[in-house]
Amino acid sequence: MRTLMLKLEPIIWGLFGGGMFIGALVLPAWLLVVGVLAPTGIISATPLDFDHIYGLASHPIGRLVFLAAAALPLWAGAHQLRHIFLDFGGLSRDGLVGGVLYAIALVGSVLAVVAAVNL
Amino acid sequence: MAEKPTKTIVVTRFDPDVDEVPKTQEYTIPVEDDWKVLDALNYIKDEVDPSLSHRWSCRMAVCGSCGMTVNGEPKLTCKQSLADYGDRVEIAPLANFPVVRDLVVELEGFMDKFKKVKPWIVEAKEAAVVEGTNRQSHEELMDFKQFSMCINCMLCYSACPVVSNEPDFLGPAAIALGHRYNQDNRDHGDAERNEIFREDGGVFSCSYANECAEVCPKGVDPSGAIQQAKLNNVVDWAKGFVVPRGK
Ligand code: FES
Repeated sequence: MRTLMLKLEPIIWGLFGGGMFIGALVLPAWLLVVGVLAPTGIISATPLDFDHIYGLASHPIGRLVFLAAAALPLWAGAHQLRHIFLDFGGLSRDGLVGGVLYAIALVGSVLAVVAAVNL
Repeated sequence: MAEKPTKTIVVTRFDPDVDEVPKTQEYTIPVEDDWKVLDALNYIKDEVDPSLSHRWSCRMAVCGSCGMTVNGEPKLTCKQSLADYGDRVEIAPLANFPVVRDLVVELEGFMDKFKKVKPWIVEAKEAAVVEGTNRQSHEELMDFKQFSMCINCMLCYSACPVVSNEPDFLGPAAIALGHRYNQDNRDHGDAERNEIFREDGGVFSCSYANECAEVCPKGVDPSGAIQQAKLNNVVDWAKGFVVPRGK
């Protein structure tokens, strides 16, 4: 498992990097808009109603954005947790722990693809 | 004349011929205001206990040989002021290295890691014949200059949590050095180095604790180099699908 993870490290790290970018920059802004600014009336909620958002999300680019926002943070989380585990001295169990974490991210990503296609 | 102030220096001692485990020894010595930590050790060695072993050479933060753990943190002892510490100063060898004696650590494994990243300009002569004189602009120099300021003092290895868990990890200084050559426009060794960077214990073992950059006495940012090297490897790896690597 470790050998496989080692082979795939560049892509895993790439997904992790993308996930960190989305998790650190895009999602907080999104949460601020839909969770705070719109409900409190600071900005108008009209552009955020179902029809608008659905129109946006079902556009091919919207689907890609949805997919990236749903799937990439899973890889960021899995990779981060794996490294925290390693920093606590878990090298001998890295294959198992990393394998399980990445499997969860993979399953989540497949579900995100299915959801993005069926939007 | 007023009595000189004193400090108690608690030194970790280890004699492989006698000791099973390291022990500490305390020396209370008169100190000067302008002393560096190294001055205290040299005073002990010259005036109190000649059996104390520690490494140093230049006394000006250039040779990189005087790295030790001072009050739990990796420091360059010729650069660190003794006045920054209280009445008791604990000095131990650098962490994450085998101890040879007292404050002296084994360098061999560290040097091997350096050799692994091919720290030289690959194909310098061959390229000079084909391409003529090497020209390098200021901007091109700036791509790697800070990474060439490393003095191999090993503080970053002592601070790195990954080095302590994964002894085979190439480590901050070696990766920063390899990256320095990858960034050098005169060099043609990227592909070879990136393969080494992708091996077990390569760049992707780094968990970005950033401790290396925190402790570096020369302001090098090894963790920045490692993250850049990771990105270069992702790009390189992705390119491998489009352009097959010529071997
Ligand atoms: S003695 Fe040379 S760096 Fe400290």
